[in-house]
Amino acid sequence: MTCRDAVNLLPLFFDGELDANQMRSVALHSTRCGNCEDELRRMEQVQEMVSTHVNAAIDEVDFAALWRGIDQRLGTVRVSWWSRARAWWSEGEHGWMIKLPAFAAAAAVAALGFVLWTRMPASTPQPDAAVVANLDNAASIDSLESDGDAVTVVNDPETRTTVLWVSDDPPGGEGTP
Amino acid sequence: MTGVSGSTLSAFVALFGMQCVALAAESPPEAVATPAANAVEVRIGAVLASNSSQDFDARLASMHRQFNTLFPYTSYRLVKEERQRVPWGGKVGFDIPGGRYVMVIPREYKNDRVSMRVMVIEGARPIVDTAVSLRDHATFLVGGPRQHEGVLILSIGADTLP
Repeated sequence: MTCRDAVNLLPLFFDGELDANQMRSVALHSTRCGNCEDELRRMEQVQEMVSTHVNAAIDEVDFAALWRGIDQRLGTVRVSWWSRARAWWSEGEHGWMIKLPAFAAAAAVAALGFVLWTRMPASTPQPDAAVVANLDNAASIDSLESDGDAVTVVNDPETRTTVLWVSDDPPGGEGTP
Repeated sequence: MTGVSGSTLSAFVALFGMQCVALAAESPPEAVATPAANAVEVRIGAVLASNSSQDFDARLASMHRQFNTLFPYTSYRLVKEERQRVPWGGKVGFDIPGGRYVMVIPREYKNDRVSMRVMVIEGARPIVDTAVSLRDHATFLVGGPRQHEGVLILSIGADTLP
């Protein structure tokens, strides 16, 4: 591949939009051609600058102020669930036929909540990356192409691991998982 | 109106309350918003698997179960391990044994899953060109290319960076 060929493909290469053969060719060319490598580096710098500025601008947006503005215009009176419950309880129209079960239910919920809370571990340790990797390695394959004779996709439920097995042998041949 | 005693009603309601609490305790946590990830670290490991010995490389201890369950080989040796940080949409390339080349382009991070395009190139032909998504910190395997007396198994994964 010459510089003339490569220069038109560099933006597409940078965006990862070329097919695998062209990606390979441009990648190989850029490792040997200083001009094209510089051009790619410039594209990376531009992307990074744009990304940095956009992210900084997003960070500066104060969404809290936005919500405060909306909240002020809502103009509704909020009554907490606790106030509503107290008002309901003190209305006096409900007999003990209703109050007693309600009280029992609240007590049961509180007791169970307390039991669950006391049985919870004090803190949950964060597993490290290796442990997490062991937990669920199942990948979803959105597209798959190959110049090989056969590609087998194996999703093993036991280890929750996905394997792409490329083989020049027919599927099920030697080594296929 | 049919009479229902207060204590019976209380028992029913208490039972209902207990069921609610039990259900709440068993239900999975709500989906957590995916935190912004500014970049991603792509990692790749090249493992030579063969039946030439019984050696299992200690550096592959975390993958021991997968290898023993999934593949019919007795020996696993890590021949290359590399990590590269890359911005979203950027690309990273790794040279792997046998004159092969792996190119990874992380696309996006959504719902705790990293989407990326992965190409394994051998000579001039792409033996794998795939778009996959997998959990953050997870690893998937690409195997099969012949190498010496065995085959090459690639472990490819991605870790998001704040």
